[in-house]
Amino acid sequence: MSTLQERRELRDLTAGLPIRDGNAISARFRAAWLVLLTANAIPIGATFALVWLATVSLVVLNYFVAYNLVSLVYMLPVVVAATQWGIGSGILAAVAGAAAADFFFYPPFYSVWIRDPQNVVDLILFLLVALVTSNLAARLKNEALAVSRREKEIRELHSFSQGLATCLNSRDLLFAVQDYLSNTLRYRAVLIAAGQDDYGIDDAGAVPDEVRGEAAKLAAANASKPSTVVEVRSGRAWLVRAISSEILGYGAIAVQIGDSAGESTDVTAQRVESLLEEATLTLKHLKTKEAIEQATVDYRTEILRDALIGGVSHELRTPLASILGSCSVLNQLPTITGDSQSSELIQAIAEQAGQLDGEIRDLLDATRISADGVRPRLMWTDPTDIVSGALKQKERRLASHWVTVDVIRDVPLVHVDSTLVEQALGQLLENAAKYSPLGSEIKVSSRCEQDCVVLSVRDYGSGLNPDEKSQLGKRSFRGRGQGADGSGLGLWIASTFIAANGGSLHAESQGPNLGTTMSLRLPTMSASTPELVDALND
Amino acid sequence: MTKVLVIDDEAQIRRFLRAGFELHGFTVVEAENATEGLRAATMSAVDLIILDLNLPDLEGAEVLERIRSWSNIPIIVLSIDADEHEKVRLLRLGADDYVVKPFGISELLARSDAALRRHLRGTNRDPVVRAGPLSVDLVSRVVTLDGKRVQLTRKEYTLLHGLATHVGLVVTHQQLIREIWGGHAGNIQYLRILVRKLRQKIEVDATQPQLIVSESGVGYRLDQGEAGAAHRRRGISSDTYA
Repeated sequence: MSTLQERRELRDLTAGLPIRDGNAISARFRAAWLVLLTANAIPIGATFALVWLATVSLVVLNYFVAYNLVSLVYMLPVVVAATQWGIGSGILAAVAGAAAADFFFYPPFYSVWIRDPQNVVDLILFLLVALVTSNLAARLKNEALAVSRREKEIRELHSFSQGLATCLNSRDLLFAVQDYLSNTLRYRAVLIAAGQDDYGIDDAGAVPDEVRGEAAKLAAANASKPSTVVEVRSGRAWLVRAISSEILGYGAIAVQIGDSAGESTDVTAQRVESLLEEATLTLKHLKTKEAIEQATVDYRTEILRDALIGGVSHELRTPLASILGSCSVLNQLPTITGDSQSSELIQAIAEQAGQLDGEIRDLLDATRISADGVRPRLMWTDPTDIVSGALKQKERRLASHWVTVDVIRDVPLVHVDSTLVEQALGQLLENAAKYSPLGSEIKVSSRCEQDCVVLSVRDYGSGLNPDEKSQLGKRSFRGRGQGADGSGLGLWIASTFIAANGGSLHAESQGPNLGTTMSLRLPTMSASTPELVDALND
Repeated sequence: MTKVLVIDDEAQIRRFLRAGFELHGFTVVEAENATEGLRAATMSAVDLIILDLNLPDLEGAEVLERIRSWSNIPIIVLSIDADEHEKVRLLRLGADDYVVKPFGISELLARSDAALRRHLRGTNRDPVVRAGPLSVDLVSRVVTLDGKRVQLTRKEYTLLHGLATHVGLVVTHQQLIREIWGGHAGNIQYLRILVRKLRQKIEVDATQPQLIVSESGVGYRLDQGEAGAAHRRRGISSDTYA
């Protein structure tokens, strides 16, 4: 029988011929028959061959067997042809068999006439039974075909869902659907994007505008039913279905299902539908799995971080506290105080241990900031206290520099977390000491500006080039110059602390080797309100 | 001889504390956990307790409360990562002062001396408190700086009195506010300005205070030994810090 392709050609041919007059009609029929014959040449030829084979066998059998086996033997080509090539071949085999029996085996031989009426009845019965049999056989064959096709579909769907199980995210999933449609089912499938590029466009050309329009309409309406669009230009049919907008912003999937919107559309629509259902289920499953995994990861990270903060705090800083404490005791022992070499060594141990402790504290601060942000406890504070607190904190580090302090007397109070600001200013002092030569001046000053107090640390060290200036305050920034060791977290922590207090950190430098001025800007208000004066009077 | 009880679970910390205290003429009793520490505090008639907050069997604050329920022995608390809230809480629970690890032995000794002196003042009734060039007579209410009398307003004196009775020890903002303004009338802004005014009268340079030292987020301390020494070392007219 004809394949789909052949049938299509036939239809195209018949549709293409104009209807004008009788001649034309008969010409059309002739052409149709011609096509039918050429298309079915093999089944027709094979059917005739089978009938010829049956005739030869009967001729041979008639020499040895007395019984009349004519109608039985001619039934065989009918059954074979009907099961192999369908009902058309079956009928052809029945007619050809009846003709051959009449011609060769019913008297008078080699003539179409039949002498015995009994033989006529035989022949008619044979034709009837042959027709019924070929019908049954053809139907059996179709059902077997349908079963095997369905089995194949199920197998494909199964392997598809197995493929889905390996998808790690919704993107994988969507592309698996597209891949399955294109490669397994041989449909051209395209994911139509809302904003971004479409996925699945091949060389055959872009998605036609009407399909795209339909996709946009369906996606906007969030329609759950698919719709069929026939391309005007080429007559190709597309099945368009909106897909969940949760999937990566792709609005719809369009599947090119054939050249016409015929009966096969429904079947294809169903297949695509079951595919998408399967995919949606997997997506839901995937989302739950992702959420659970994310929650687990978050939980583990949190536990790890807490353990790290607690553990590092205790396990690393306690030994350092012992070392630093022991150094301070050693420094007071009479045997050591008289020995300058030992004192120096102990001093070095203390300095290094102190530096290590500072680094660990920076790491802990950075971890805490990254985890919870900064929660400042704001309190009205005298900037004078912030300056002296920071200087006291870094007393040891600043010992080999010449520190001058120029703080104005009646600087307004600032509303900040004094501990954080003190630490930030301490960091600026530390950096000034780190990046300027020993013995050089470090100047701490304060000044008032409108609505803010500015605390500055000026050094005469290596300065900053424009590139470093722009890098400043980023995590792990580290300047040049001698003694520039450490994690580089300090300045980042300082700027984070200052920002949390509603202030800002600024760097000015005249250029390399001309020194740096780092300034903290803190919000304030005028301190001399009448209420305040009252409160202070006796 | 002054007997000091060190309650800390870290053997190395105990070791250097013992060395440091013994070097300065103390006798030392050690305890490695809260249970032992509480027993030693009751049994061995100690004069001073150094209490680490991070103990394996009981929270440091709990130990502090239990000791305070029957005794006012001076207690200095050690901690490695207490924030300001925690420090204020410990002071309210009765700690005389705190020292944050890592620390030098001289810092701890200064706090211990201050705490012991304050404890003793209750018994020997010496009315004059000295801190560097400053002296405050708590009975006659006379304040002198390098022998010269300083005139203070009533509120300024109340503030100085509050600090002087705890000389060398930290006094929380809230405690000072309560003593000066009483009840809920005062606030931290008033206190900051009052401290500034007092500093202008008693400090060499009010912008670089050496006597009334701020403890960030906690309170103020009237610094004595070190402050006086620093004055002498740095030279009074210079504004150079180091």
